[in-house]
Amino acid sequence: MNDRVVSPLRLLVDTAVLTAWRRLLGLKEQSWFLLSLIGVFLVGYVALSFTLFFGGLRFIGRFPGLGGLLVERLLFLLFAFLFGLLLISNLIIAYTNLFRNRETAFLLTLPVPRQTVLQWKLLESTLVASWAFLFLIAPLLAAYGLVNRVDWHFYPMVVLMVGMFIVLPGIAGCWLALQIARFLDRRAFQVLLVAVLVTAVGLILFKFRPEPVTDEALETRVLSVIDRLLDNTRFAQFPLLPSYWLSSSVQSWSEGALRTALFFFAVLLSYVLFFGFLAMTRLGDSFYEASSIVHGRGSMFVRWAWFQRLEERQRRLQQLSLLLRPRDWLDALLAWRNLVPPDVRALVAKDLRVFWRDTTQWGQALMLFGLLTVYIINLRHFTRQLDSPFWISLVSFLNLGACALNLATLTTRFVFPQFSLEGKRVWVVGLAPIGLVQIVRLKFWLASVATLIVTLGLILLSCSMLGLDVAHSVFFAAAIAVMTFTLNAIAVGLGALYPNFKETNPAKIVSGFGGTFCLVLSFLYIVSSVVLLAVASPWGWRPDTLDEFAPAKAAFSWTIFVLGSVLAGWLPLRLGLRKVAVTEL
Amino acid sequence: MIELHNVVKHFGEVRAVNGINLTVPKGEFFCVLGPNAAGKTTTIKMIVGLIKPTSGSARVAGYDVQTQPLEARARLSYVPDFPFLYDKLTPWEFLRFTGQLFRMSDAAINREAAELVPRFSLEEWLNKPIEGLSHGTRQRVAIASALLHSPEVFVIDEPMVGLDPHHARIVKDILKERSRKGMTLFLSTHQIGVAEEMADRVGIIHRGQLVAVGTADELRRRAGVDGALEQAFLALTEEQEEVPSNEGVPRP
Repeated sequence: MNDRVVSPLRLLVDTAVLTAWRRLLGLKEQSWFLLSLIGVFLVGYVALSFTLFFGGLRFIGRFPGLGGLLVERLLFLLFAFLFGLLLISNLIIAYTNLFRNRETAFLLTLPVPRQTVLQWKLLESTLVASWAFLFLIAPLLAAYGLVNRVDWHFYPMVVLMVGMFIVLPGIAGCWLALQIARFLDRRAFQVLLVAVLVTAVGLILFKFRPEPVTDEALETRVLSVIDRLLDNTRFAQFPLLPSYWLSSSVQSWSEGALRTALFFFAVLLSYVLFFGFLAMTRLGDSFYEASSIVHGRGSMFVRWAWFQRLEERQRRLQQLSLLLRPRDWLDALLAWRNLVPPDVRALVAKDLRVFWRDTTQWGQALMLFGLLTVYIINLRHFTRQLDSPFWISLVSFLNLGACALNLATLTTRFVFPQFSLEGKRVWVVGLAPIGLVQIVRLKFWLASVATLIVTLGLILLSCSMLGLDVAHSVFFAAAIAVMTFTLNAIAVGLGALYPNFKETNPAKIVSGFGGTFCLVLSFLYIVSSVVLLAVASPWGWRPDTLDEFAPAKAAFSWTIFVLGSVLAGWLPLRLGLRKVAVTEL
Repeated sequence: MIELHNVVKHFGEVRAVNGINLTVPKGEFFCVLGPNAAGKTTTIKMIVGLIKPTSGSARVAGYDVQTQPLEARARLSYVPDFPFLYDKLTPWEFLRFTGQLFRMSDAAINREAAELVPRFSLEEWLNKPIEGLSHGTRQRVAIASALLHSPEVFVIDEPMVGLDPHHARIVKDILKERSRKGMTLFLSTHQIGVAEEMADRVGIIHRGQLVAVGTADELRRRAGVDGALEQAFLALTEEQEEVPSNEGVPRP
């Protein structure tokens, strides 16, 4: 019998490993076909991204005189952006994990030091926030190593460097989450997040604004474009950025400059050790302080007289409206001319309110679509350089793909868990006369119409920026509309087919089998649809046929596209609705 | 065993707990009653150290919950109204996990579990995943794991929620028995019958204040009623109606 005392951190890690293992074993209950599909997708993703990175790096590396410099700058840029994304991801996950997590509250009542609770939550958040980053850069670094014909020891060293690198945004995200919890309430956080995102998008818009190119400049445009590119991206080589140390170390190691590589490795290591030591030994009390504040705070705005007056006014208006007309502005909007029945109105209003109040969730979607908007707006500056209709067509189809991929992240993240979350509210929603099947249908229509406004707007903006004619614009608008409905049908249908009624956290619902399957299916659908529409483009791809519209070709490709979309969307939705009809909640 | 010294907790502008002074001696079974949003759960959360009092202090087994948290929590167990359990573990693994967190040896865990598992009728469920258990069984697992290390102080919020009459009886008997053996109990409930049946003393919290403390008879006398404790409770809380309301206080 073993009577040694196990450290609490070790116990927590062991429990998490056991839980993860059992979750993995639980996959045995899933269909082998679907599991194989996900497996093939994952392997396919790694293989495809490796091939693309390998080809891309080799292509850029061969650019006369500047290849090496461009590859170097690309790596700096990539790691700098990934560092920023990792920071945001860590901040959001750490906040949820530290202050909105039942396990954390449970641990705080046990004789587990606050510091240990923080250590565990920091480890957990960092791993959860970083796995996608590791998945993304593994093929890139493998391709980079092969292109540069590095020695074998490059690969284990890179694993070590990347492993150290993810620690820093993890600690920074956790520290920022603690500060936000200490000083901001939900409303203040929403205001700050919107302000930060708008500023970030504005800064990117300003920083990467292209300058008008004159005809003379076109003669020497390659050099001037590269010069501007290098100048605008110099920030990625700011020596105090952790991404700079990582990129420098990786590149130096690949070039055989081991002393330089070891220097940057040591810089990274020293920061990891220093901040790691601080986080692992000094943040426990701050965490407890912040947790106590989060659980015992009123509105931060109350201290200001203007806010108190505003609240008082709203309270009076509310009381008055209760007497006169029991609605707020959203209800009033939805009740316009009584077009929508009251029960539908109530569900729509509830879903919109829940979405708006979940700041950490829509913040990510806003950022993704914000960046896409910035990119599309900037396209207008390139139409002169993109003088070949071939390139304009290519960019249009790529934009269609990018828009649909962004939408797929949104539908998987928000739409998929909707039915599972209703399971918790079944006593009021599921038992309402409207019926659960109708509620799921309603969710499909609400999500489709809401996302259609965004995707249609983006695609039309893209067409306008590229100077496309009406026929092209109608073509792309129709394509994104069909894809929007299909992607929402996949998310709603699979969400109903693979519900998780026990989990209250939508992020955890999505991370299960159904969520992964939804993402994989959406991705496969988007890639095959865009490839089909592009390959069988009615305008053709040869320069001599670009302006000739081929109705037969259009009819053929659209028949397959629409049929495929109906099948990809209708089938999961139909199966989902059938399951909902017989679900015992 | 539990000492609250002028404990105050603000939620923004609102005082959720407003200067509570209370001492619960060793071995006493103390029940706290109060209407919704009275400040019961906030008081409990300050006793177990989940939130910090705005002012005042809470001590458990002689240790300040804020300045000596580990010492206090090593002697304390807390079961909330909806306790957290790891869904993918079995009840046996969860018992072992909590025992180890309380630094119990394997022998001690086995010994205590051998006593508690049959008493809570958990044998059938012991090696099945918690995710498949009913609410009542989960509640029993939570209470058994909290009692495993024989805490000196046991704080429990609405213990009878989800329990059938048979298991509610078992839980009541075990808690009473532990109390007789010297464990201090602090129980929060809306079920006045439970308080009347079990408690040595009852405290009534209303609008953040401890408006009355005493045995059931003392409370009846103070309220000037002869019947059930419920009448005394209603009378004593009605007395306080003129004090500003705590409604709208965010639930921590």
